[in-house]
Amino acid sequence: MIGTSGKRRVDLDALQARFSLRVASRLTEQAGSLPHDLGERLRVAREQAVHRARELRRAEASSTVSVLGSPGGVATLGSSPSAWVRLASLMPLMVLVLGLVLIQHLHDRAEIHAAADVDAALLADDLPPEAYGDPGFVEFLRQPEQ
Amino acid sequence: MANDKELSDFLKSAERRAFKRTAFAVRDDDAALDIVQEAMIRLAEKYADRPLAELPLIFARILSNATMDWFRRQKVRQATMQNFSELESGSDDADFDLLEALETADGGNWDQQGPAERLSREQTLALIEQEVSALPARQREAFLLRYWEELDTAETAVVMGCSEGSVKTHCSRAVHALAKALSAKGLKP
Repeated sequence: MIGTSGKRRVDLDALQARFSLRVASRLTEQAGSLPHDLGERLRVAREQAVHRARELRRAEASSTVSVLGSPGGVATLGSSPSAWVRLASLMPLMVLVLGLVLIQHLHDRAEIHAAADVDAALLADDLPPEAYGDPGFVEFLRQPEQ
Repeated sequence: MANDKELSDFLKSAERRAFKRTAFAVRDDDAALDIVQEAMIRLAEKYADRPLAELPLIFARILSNATMDWFRRQKVRQATMQNFSELESGSDDADFDLLEALETADGGNWDQQGPAERLSREQTLALIEQEVSALPARQREAFLLRYWEELDTAETAVVMGCSEGSVKTHCSRAVHALAKALSAKGLKP
């Protein structure tokens, strides 16, 4: 049961809300009669905002398409062509270094083969290798053939 | 997600109220237009993908923030704070009967449409706007968000960055002040 003061409170709240809505409706009415230039400027502002939203949506859609549409879906190495140019300019140097390493390797193999041939000839000869350490035999070798 | 047409329709429905609300606050039509435009662009850039139903609250909040940014830029924040302090000022209207004033106002017949009535009506609209404009900033903001933008108490509190209790207090004081001012001029809204 609502007392007198409670009823007065309810009445006051209801009247307050009704009064506020009436004031608000008058404000709406007044806002509807804005000067023409203000209305136009608001229209232009609205159109710019909608245009901006449209542009952003398009940009977002096109960036999504470009990521999905890249060849084979493979990520590319950098986006700038200068990276590829720089890489290509290093190729001759890399080929030169590889060539030098290969030549060194082949040279070492040739020396090893030559040493192996000498060793094989010495070991296969009738003369024992120790003879080359004997001073008399060395002297014998220095003498001209008679 | 709101499409271009829905966004445009929403802005069209809100732009005049947004302009008037901002103009009440900054008291400068050009500045109010700039602020509304800035708020529209922010909404379009950041929140255009949100559901249509969320846009009114988001836009109200962006507009309030943009208005506060404008005050900060103008370095007149101090002046607005002085306005806020008016909330606490004087109670020299202790003998004013709000219920009586509201009951009287509620009985008005607004739908008369003769030329004299139309002129009177236009003058009344201008005076009502003037009285709303004269309210302290927080009271006016609460009143307009709550009853003109038709946000509920919780939403108004979010936009204003205060409690629901504060919103109710601001609204009540705004209604009290408006009823008193309009009664003093013999106006019925």
